[in-house]
Amino acid sequence: MASRKTFRRILTRRLVNVVITIFGIMVLNFFLIHFMPGDPVQNIVPRGNKYDESIRWALYEKFHLNDSLPEQLAWYLWNTISLDWGTSYILNRSVSSIIFQDMRWTALLVGTSTFIMILLGVAIGALSAYRRGSAFDVGATSISLFFYGMPVFWMALILQALFTTHPLGMSWWPQLPPSGYYDSDRYGHLAWNLPVILSILKYLILPATVLAVGSLAGVSLVMRSALVDTMTEDFILTARAKGLTDYGVLRHHALPNGMPPMIALIAMDIAFIIGGAYQVEYVFNYPGIGFRTIDAIGALDFPILQFIVVVGGIAVVVANFIADMLLYYVDPRIKIS
Amino acid sequence: MRIITRSGLGKCGLWRHVPTSLLLVAAIALLAGGLYPADSQDSERELAIVLAEDDGPTANAGGNQNVTKGAIVTLNGSGSMGFEGAGNLNFTWNITFSNRTAGTQLADLYGMNQTIHANQTGVYTIRLNVTDSLNRTGSDTIYIIVTEPPKTFLEKNWLSLIILGVLLLIGGVYLRRAIRNLRAGLPMITEAGQEKIKLTVKKTRKIMKQLVKNRMGILGIIILIAFGIMAVIGPSVAGDVKTQSEDPSTMRQKPSEDHWLGTDNYGIDILDELFYGARTSMVVGVVSAIIASFLGAAVGLYSGYVGGWKDEVVMRANDVVLSIPWLVLMIIVAAMLGEIDLTGIILIIGLTGWSYTARLVRAQVLSIKERQYIERARSIGASDLNIIGRHIFPNTFPMIFANTILTVAVSILSEATLSFLHLRPVGEVTWGTMLSFASDNSAFENGLHWWILAPGLCIVVVVLGFTLLGYALDDILNPKLRHR
Repeated sequence: MASRKTFRRILTRRLVNVVITIFGIMVLNFFLIHFMPGDPVQNIVPRGNKYDESIRWALYEKFHLNDSLPEQLAWYLWNTISLDWGTSYILNRSVSSIIFQDMRWTALLVGTSTFIMILLGVAIGALSAYRRGSAFDVGATSISLFFYGMPVFWMALILQALFTTHPLGMSWWPQLPPSGYYDSDRYGHLAWNLPVILSILKYLILPATVLAVGSLAGVSLVMRSALVDTMTEDFILTARAKGLTDYGVLRHHALPNGMPPMIALIAMDIAFIIGGAYQVEYVFNYPGIGFRTIDAIGALDFPILQFIVVVGGIAVVVANFIADMLLYYVDPRIKIS
Repeated sequence: MRIITRSGLGKCGLWRHVPTSLLLVAAIALLAGGLYPADSQDSERELAIVLAEDDGPTANAGGNQNVTKGAIVTLNGSGSMGFEGAGNLNFTWNITFSNRTAGTQLADLYGMNQTIHANQTGVYTIRLNVTDSLNRTGSDTIYIIVTEPPKTFLEKNWLSLIILGVLLLIGGVYLRRAIRNLRAGLPMITEAGQEKIKLTVKKTRKIMKQLVKNRMGILGIIILIAFGIMAVIGPSVAGDVKTQSEDPSTMRQKPSEDHWLGTDNYGIDILDELFYGARTSMVVGVVSAIIASFLGAAVGLYSGYVGGWKDEVVMRANDVVLSIPWLVLMIIVAAMLGEIDLTGIILIIGLTGWSYTARLVRAQVLSIKERQYIERARSIGASDLNIIGRHIFPNTFPMIFANTILTVAVSILSEATLSFLHLRPVGEVTWGTMLSFASDNSAFENGLHWWILAPGLCIVVVVLGFTLLGYALDDILNPKLRHR
C-alpha cells in the first residue's frame, strides 16, 4: 500500500508542475506575441477614406488592444481558460474552431508518423542490436545517422519531387499526390465515406513517411544501444541457458528493458516532431496547425498565433506527463523524484 | 515580416469566386469592345503617313548608374522632338525593381525629372518613354544597380575582433600573473604548476588516443576539417554571389565545364553559392551554439548551485521554454523581429536554444555539489563565486563542451529551417537561403536539381560531422553520464 501512496504523491506533484508550466506558457506567449511589430488592426482595415476611425476603434475595443498591458494579460488569461479564444483578424471565424479543425489534421499526421516511427524504429534497432556488427547493423546505423542530420523539409522536397515524376522514365513508378489532404477536385466537400477516407490515407502517405523517417534515426539508435547493453547482462545468458529461442530471449527479456529509454526519448522528441510537422505541412500544403501558423505570421493574426503556441506547448507538456507516468508503470525501478 | 504561403489561393477560398470573376471579366471585355472605336479617323491616318518620314521623338534617360544602398538617385530625362510641330513631350518612367528578397516591383512615374530613394539592394530597370502630342514614342532603357555600401572595418571584422579580444584578455591575465611572480621573486613555474601541466598533457594525450580509436569520432573530425577549410577559403574562392545577372542566357544553366553545378534562376553559379554559404552557415551554427551553451551553462550553474526555491523558479521557467515546440518558438521570435540579418538569426537561435543545456548542466552541478572537495573548499572560506569558478565549472566543462558541439548541429539545422520558412537573413547567402530560393522557384520542375540537392547534402554532412564528433567526445569525456 505504501507504493500506491508514493505514486499518488508523485502524481499530485507532477500535476501541479503541469499546471504551473501551462500557466507559464500562456504568460510567455502573451508577451512574445505582444512584442510583435506592426499594428494588426492597421493591417485589416484598408487605408482610405472609405473606412473611418470608428471601425478601427471598434476592433481595438473588440480585442481589448486599448487597455493597459496587465489588463490585456488578465483578459487574455481569462479568455484562454474559458476557451473564448476570440475571432481571427483575417478569417473572421472563431479561433477555437479554426484551431480544433486544423488540429485534427496535425494529430492525424503526427499520430500516424509516430506509429510508423515506433514500429520501424523498434524493429530496426532490435534487429541491428541482435546482429551486432553484421552488414545489416552497419548499414542500418549509417543510414539512420544520415537521416538524423537531414533537414525534414529537404527530404519532404525530394520525396515530393520523386513521387510526382517518373524518374529515369520508369512508367510503373508510383505517383503520389504532392499537396493537399484529400482529392477535393473529385470528391468535393469533405464527407466521411470510404472513398474519401481512402483518398485521405493516400494523401497522408508522403507527409507521414517524411516525418517518421526524420525522427526514426533517434529511436532506432537508442533502441539499439539499450538492447546492446541489455544483451550482455547475466539474465540474458540465464534465459538462453533455460533453452529459450533467440526470438523468445529478444521478445520477453531484452525488449522490455529497452522500453524505458525509448519512452523517455519519444517524450523528449515530441517537441521536435511537432516542429517537423510544421515543415512537412508547409511543403505538402497539409492544412494543419503548422500551415496555419505560417499563414498567421504573414497576416499578423495575433489570436491564432497565441493559441497555436499555447496548444503546441500544452500538447508537449501533456505528452511528457503521460510519458513520465508510463515510465513509472513500465519500469518499477524508477523512482521519480 | 510577411510570409508568402505557397498555396494561399486554395486556402483563402478564392476558387469560390472564380465563376463570378469570370463573368465580370467577360462583361468588362464586352463593354470595352463596344466602346472602343472600330476604326481610327481618316484624317489622323493621313497625318501619320506624313509624319512617318522622321523617327519621332528620341529619349535620353541619362545613362546607367551604380549607387550604394540608401542613396537618392536623380533621374534626369531629356528628349528631343522629331519636328517642331509635334507639341509638348510627355515623359513616362517605367520602373522595375527586382532583387532576391523583394521579388519584382513595378512603378510608373510621370514627369521629366524624378528621384528614387534606393533603400534596398537590387537592380532598377528604368525605361523612359517619351510621347509627343501625336502619340509617337521614343524610349531609352537604363539600369541602376544598387549595391551594399562598403562595410566598415568594424562591420567586417566584429567576430575576429571579439575573438582577438578574448585571446588578449586571457594572455593579459597570464602576463599579469607572470609579472607579479617576477616582482615577488617567486619562480615562474612552481613544482605544483609543473605537475599540473604534466597531468594536463597526459590527460589530453589520453583523450586524443581514445578519440583516434573511436572510428565515428575520427570520421566526424575528417568531415569537419574538410568543411572547415571550405568555410575559411570559401568566400574568397567563390565569385560574386550577391549580384544577380541581367543576361537571361546565363540563368538556369545545366551543369557544364564553367558551372559545375549549373546556375540558378538569378544566373548565379551554384557551386560559388555553396562555397560562400559554407562560411555563413558554419558561423551561424557555431556562434549561436556558443551563445546557447553559455546561457545554458550560466543558468544551470546558478540554479543547480543555489538550490531551494530559486532553483525551482528557474527550472519551471526552463520547463516552459522547453515545452514550446522548438521550431515554433524560433518562428515566433523571428517574426517578431521583422527584417533580420545574420546577427539577428544568430541571436534568435542562440537565445531560444539554451534550455536543454541548462537542464543537463544543472543535473551535473547537483551531483558535483555534494562531493567532499566542495565541502572542503567551503570550510576554508572560499566564496561561492570561487567555488563555482574553480571547482564546479571545470568539472562540468567537458560535458558542456561536448554538448556545444551537438548544439552546433542543431543550430545549423535551425538556420536552414528558418530560412526555408522565409525567415531568412536579409542580403546573405547561406545553405538555408539557397534551399529556400530553390524551392520558391520550383527548382526540381525547372530541372535545376543541384540547386536543392547540393546545399541539402552539405547540411546533412556537416550536421553529421558535428553529431559524430559530439557523441564521440561525450562518450570519452563523461563515460558514466549517459547510458546510451
